[in-house]
Amino acid sequence: MTKKKRGSSSVYRTGTDSVKIRLIVLTVLAALLLLTALCAKYICPYDPYEQNLLLAKQPPGPEHLLGTDRYGRDMFSRILIAGTTSIFSTLILVSITTVTGTFVGIICGWRGGFVDAFLMRISDLFLAFPSLVFALAVAGVLGGGVQNAVLALAVVSWPKFARLARGLTLTQKEAPYIMAARLSGSSTPALLLRHILPNIAGPVLVTAVLDIGTMMMELAGLSFLGLGVQPPAAEWGSMINEGRSLLQIAPWMSLAPGAAIFVTVLIFNLLGDTLRDYLDPEHKKKRGK
Amino acid sequence: MKKKFIAAVLAGAVMISGLSVSVMADKEKTFVYGTTGYSEEMGDAGLNPHDNYSGWSALRYGVGETLFKYNDNMEVEPWLATDYEFVDDTTVKITLRDGVKFSSGRTMDAQAVKECLENLVKVHDRAPSDMKIDYIDADGLTLTIYTTEPCPAIINYLGDPYGAIIDMEYGVQGEGGNANVAGTGPYIAEKVTPTQIDLVKNENYWGGDVKVDKVTVKSFSDGSALTAALQTGDIQGTYGLQYDNYALFDGNPEYTINSCATSRCFFGQFNFESEIMQDQNIRKAIEMGIDKEGFCSVIMEGRGLPAKAAFPDSFSYGNEAVETVSYDPEGAKKLLEESGWKDTDGDGYADKDGQKLTIDWLTYPTRLEQPKLAEYAQATLKEIGIDVVVNNTSDHMTYAADGNFDVYVSSTTTAPTGDPEYFFTSTVVGPKNYGKYENKEVTALTEKLHQAFEPEERAKLATELQQKILDDDGFFFVSHLNMGIVTKSNVKGMAAHPCDYYEITADLDVE
Amino acid sequence: MLKYIGKRLLQLIPVLIGITFLSFAMMRLAGGDAVTYMYENAGSVVSQEVIDQTKKEYGLDQPFLVQYGRWFAGMVTGDMGTSYVSGQKVYDTFMEKLPATILLTVSSMIVTMLTAIPLGIFSAIRHNRWSDYLIRFLSFIGNSAPNFFAALILMYVFSVKLGWLPVITSENIAASLVLPTLTLAIAMAAKYIRQIRAAVLEELNKDYVTGARARGVRGSVIIWKNVLRASMLTIVTLMALSVGSLLGGTTIVESIFMWDGVGKMAVDAITMRDYPVVQVYVAWMAVIYVAVNLITDIVYHYLDPRVRLGGEQG
Repeated sequence: MTKKKRGSSSVYRTGTDSVKIRLIVLTVLAALLLLTALCAKYICPYDPYEQNLLLAKQPPGPEHLLGTDRYGRDMFSRILIAGTTSIFSTLILVSITTVTGTFVGIICGWRGGFVDAFLMRISDLFLAFPSLVFALAVAGVLGGGVQNAVLALAVVSWPKFARLARGLTLTQKEAPYIMAARLSGSSTPALLLRHILPNIAGPVLVTAVLDIGTMMMELAGLSFLGLGVQPPAAEWGSMINEGRSLLQIAPWMSLAPGAAIFVTVLIFNLLGDTLRDYLDPEHKKKRGK
Repeated sequence: MKKKFIAAVLAGAVMISGLSVSVMADKEKTFVYGTTGYSEEMGDAGLNPHDNYSGWSALRYGVGETLFKYNDNMEVEPWLATDYEFVDDTTVKITLRDGVKFSSGRTMDAQAVKECLENLVKVHDRAPSDMKIDYIDADGLTLTIYTTEPCPAIINYLGDPYGAIIDMEYGVQGEGGNANVAGTGPYIAEKVTPTQIDLVKNENYWGGDVKVDKVTVKSFSDGSALTAALQTGDIQGTYGLQYDNYALFDGNPEYTINSCATSRCFFGQFNFESEIMQDQNIRKAIEMGIDKEGFCSVIMEGRGLPAKAAFPDSFSYGNEAVETVSYDPEGAKKLLEESGWKDTDGDGYADKDGQKLTIDWLTYPTRLEQPKLAEYAQATLKEIGIDVVVNNTSDHMTYAADGNFDVYVSSTTTAPTGDPEYFFTSTVVGPKNYGKYENKEVTALTEKLHQAFEPEERAKLATELQQKILDDDGFFFVSHLNMGIVTKSNVKGMAAHPCDYYEITADLDVE
Repeated sequence: MLKYIGKRLLQLIPVLIGITFLSFAMMRLAGGDAVTYMYENAGSVVSQEVIDQTKKEYGLDQPFLVQYGRWFAGMVTGDMGTSYVSGQKVYDTFMEKLPATILLTVSSMIVTMLTAIPLGIFSAIRHNRWSDYLIRFLSFIGNSAPNFFAALILMYVFSVKLGWLPVITSENIAASLVLPTLTLAIAMAAKYIRQIRAAVLEELNKDYVTGARARGVRGSVIIWKNVLRASMLTIVTLMALSVGSLLGGTTIVESIFMWDGVGKMAVDAITMRDYPVVQVYVAWMAVIYVAVNLITDIVYHYLDPRVRLGGEQG
């Protein structure tokens, strides 16, 4: 839909030093997030599932850094545990959509003709399909749960990557080096894997990283509407929803998980943006020296 | 210049509107009422009692009245009727109140009531199978109803909101959520929409002077919106406030909370076709492992009352009349050990023959409290070594019908008409007995209840039945919902009622 | 041109059929049905016969394909069915909700444009100075808060703490409009600022701008007359996409603020298993999707004749 022509001459050049530093800092931050999410189980101060009604709805304090929820569970521990769910399900979701979308896109761009037209109509269908309806139907058929919310979003999100990869493949297809490779007798799969894929990987990767934030919010949105994780499992979106009706009585119950999503999305968005600057100096130039 | 002019006009307009409001306030009393209980989704939009659940609205907002009503103990009392008498098993003679007029001007007599009830059984979905009316005779103020088979509960059913008496000559104006009717109540609807009802006082009300001139009933689909509207003063009274928001009004002198236990009961059924559930010790341990007090006071924020059995205290055959186990995790553990379930591998859950003690807990999310109960029970049952797997799904009916659960927690209004029979015929021995609980004595007693006419006899049977199913650990009852009406403290005469039918009455006043 | 539009409208048909069929199938597969739901919500339970009877009335006892066929035939003849929940004509319900969504769309677009265009241009002109960094950082912040979280914070600050604005839609439409509009505008403006900034920067670096500068044309004139005009393409594309998604109803924001629009209708219908209403929503989304694509293409053609009509749509 948006006509973005991305630099096709993607011979990777290093960006300026400042971009490099930003990239390193943000990568470290993102890695820290992942590490925290990975080790959440071992570093949370309390059992995130242990209830103690005597401690219900305690405000943040030295005992419980972010307070407790209505069951007296420690919010800080729950946010850590929820991070594991939120971050990893988002990463899985983005991986699925990127791989599937790119695969379909390359096929369409390369083959053209009927296959292209057919797959693109299908992608139209899913692009126009409201993810909410899908999520609910999936939840109905397969039961609730974060894996099903991921599935629902994957189904409506892959076309974005298919279109991107298709466009990029089309620009590469006629490039002289492809001709040369063809003439030298490379098989089609080898061509696609060895030549096309590496040359379109940059923009796809950037889009994927930028998509992490969006997808995390979408996933949290579904959980917020009650279509994601099931209790007692914790997920940031469902925690916000859980605390919503107590906004006036126990604001920390919704504000703390909200802040967690916010910081995570911010880091991934900045990372994606910086990665683009780094991989695509053309773009960087456009944005101003 | 222009700006000044506009400013002057605006200022004038504000003053005039302000003035008119204060003048109006002197002579007119108004009341704006917010509720989550009125909507098309609930099936009660509009005021036509013969359509789905709209009778609830006719009754709740003071437009319609029934022949009999329920008192605070859910016993039947005369209302538009003054007396009744069973002539034989299939004939009941009802005497109507004299001097009652419909808002259309017509006098309410036996003929008018006959027309109304005949239309009811002709068009309504539930009424015909409840009341089993064969035909009706009208003579002055005496109404005689003949039923096709003995129907001792007919008096109770006449108190169901669908039994609100309306003038059929006036008929039903408008359709569905816009339907307006001429009833006998303290208020007359001026305008009815699926989201709002505008009421004015009935100057000729038979029950005396009506104190408030205008009442507006507004529908809210979201509990937090209702809370906010009450806080900002957009509305002066609410029904259906989200249970965790009462804390905002509790103890605040500006508001009055009026609440009362209803017969809506959160309860669980055990699946007798599941192998581990056949062990009575496990069933008992589950009930003993759930802290009902804690759930009601903390999770439900006091909006629930711990239940022993199906009916709340206000009923003569309610909680007080029966006995069941209480919260006792140690005792529960012992029971499990007796049956050979013990934690031998140190994972915190009991096991037997290498199998972990895991139960499937089926419930559904429409009632907010149910998933909360599941989550809570999951934690407390873990204490005694039971691993609870929660299946919280909107599609619970399919799972329940397939017997795909160990424990199925749902909620229902156990005595919608103030009579105990419904719960037993539907849930204990009827189609909603998803757990396939079976006890010949219970079946026999239920049949006896079905045929008993005397209220005392029925109450006694209901008590006996409940005790039997508790002794068998066939069901467990967790909580009765405490329904509350919160108003500004200057609003008087609004009381929560155990059957949820009566909200705006002639007693309503704004000081 | 007309022929082209006609061709594109024809493309609507397969998308429309595909998408409605898909949603029809999904809702059926999802299980749980409207009739049982209806009774359940009303509080008490009725006999199986009554449920079966009601299902029959709605045609829910028919095989799936028959149900879909009936629905589609109805839609073609202008009858989109009746809501299981309210008993109202679905089309009427939809038309009733649409104005609220349009109002919210217009107001949030206006606020977005009024913030994003000046800030985007300003940021481009001052690029790599502290004001540019500040604006860009703020736009990242705006872009990283999920809208339901932004909504909660706005509600907490302006309604609960300050008491300036109603939490939900009330009689006072203007006051009720503020918070949902802000919620939507924050996220959109954040995205726009970055795109507009990029587009303007691209133009600023072009030769004609340098030329004009050399000729002594004033900076502001260049910006308004040339640069902005050239950047219109980006802005218009963005707008078309946003208007499209806003008209689809912003499900979460509408639900949080009880804004009685199409999005809230969809969420309610989905939770109530009110298939006919869900269907009309899905069909509407398909229409918007095709319309937005069409409009973007036409605008491209108009603003930038180099783009060949019917060309790539990537």
